[in-house]
Amino acid sequence: MIDFQSGYILRPVNPAFIYFSLFCALLLNLLPIGNYSWAPDWLILCIVFWNIHQHRYVDVVWAFILGLIMDVHNSDLLGLHAFSYSLVAYIAISWHRRIVALTVLSQALHLIPIFLLVSLFPVLAHWMLSGELYWWALTGSIQALIEAALWPFATRILLAPQRRPIDVDYNRPL
Amino acid sequence: MLIDFRFKALDPIRNYVNWILRPLEYVMMAPRNAFEITSEYFTTRSVLEKENQAMKTRLAELSLLANQSEFLMIENQNLRELMALQNQVPFKTLSVEILFNPPNPISQRIVINRGSNDGLKLGNPIANDAGILGQVVRLYERSAEVSLLEDRDFAVPVQVARNGLRAAVFGVGRGNPLELRYLPVASDLEVGDILLTSGIDGVYPPGFAVAVISKIERNADKNSSNVFCEPIAAVNRYRQALALLYDPQFDAKAPVYNKPTTGTQNNTPGRRQTRARGMQ
Repeated sequence: MIDFQSGYILRPVNPAFIYFSLFCALLLNLLPIGNYSWAPDWLILCIVFWNIHQHRYVDVVWAFILGLIMDVHNSDLLGLHAFSYSLVAYIAISWHRRIVALTVLSQALHLIPIFLLVSLFPVLAHWMLSGELYWWALTGSIQALIEAALWPFATRILLAPQRRPIDVDYNRPL
Repeated sequence: MLIDFRFKALDPIRNYVNWILRPLEYVMMAPRNAFEITSEYFTTRSVLEKENQAMKTRLAELSLLANQSEFLMIENQNLRELMALQNQVPFKTLSVEILFNPPNPISQRIVINRGSNDGLKLGNPIANDAGILGQVVRLYERSAEVSLLEDRDFAVPVQVARNGLRAAVFGVGRGNPLELRYLPVASDLEVGDILLTSGIDGVYPPGFAVAVISKIERNADKNSSNVFCEPIAAVNRYRQALALLYDPQFDAKAPVYNKPTTGTQNNTPGRRQTRARGMQ
């Protein structure tokens, strides 16, 4: 795959690294930092990243399963995150050709609506089920902005193994 | 989602996922716990000494109170027997540890480290040293989720400590003060009144502090008043709490069909038994 940022051809991805990164993101989500609406959802960041870059490995089914796990952890209705994660994964996969060709910053801008959808979906679902909208809970959109701001770092970290040079000349580094 | 909301049919799936997830959550709690332990370890000697002194005086006060309360309890029991009132039900407590509060924009819940294996039941109240925290709303084998007072439409029947006026405190949602609803304008309430559980619901044992009235808006036109309260027990202060395993004897029990006949039941005099004997 071509790295549109540098123009080089990337090394093939290691599936083990994909699943390892998803697992790490899940663990980061389980950190007991308290009930803050702005705390970034590392898992959806990771899922959307792999949806865009390697949608053959991480597809809607993975998003659904991981969303189910987050539902149990957050003690939400079973299926709330599962649905929003898989919806977002679907959107990300259908946008992946367009988004990969952009620069990293405009990628982040394009992904704000996706992250907003994930952050506000629980509030909207609660609105539909109980008929009462929590204006206060709409501060979850800060979370989406933070996730979008983390996107360049995610790209740097998660693409790093593929950006390694193929044959390293130990006598003359660089 | 709808199936879970209406029918609670997906609980087995939730249990299985939780069974896998809980060890991971414990692992991720390790850094925080390690940080707390190290910061506790490095507290200075003078701080510990002060704390020790304060605790000793507190212990003395409390043991004095405890002696008196035992005397009062016996007296109360005797008086109740004299007046042929029902005895108050003693209940057990179970110390629990608050593990974490899951991120959720709408409600505020906590997860505790005791579950159905420890004798916890659905609906058991959770309290700390100050007052009631909430109620168990979802039960696993080794953990449970507790809904807090702030939760939307979380109702606790209370009594004003000053004059015994009965009412119900309702949660309005995360970040909002509690509300005392369905009270006429003329009711005798003041800012600063302490609300205790009344115990008429059979869920909360009577006499536990719940909230303090913080603001009263009287509306004479509609003959209603908006009464706002603050919960007394702070959630984020301590990690320890108590579960009250309260089972009042007076509420309606579910009917038991096909009751197995045991030896004790055969000995008790009963209508069915005399009939059976007559048949023989």
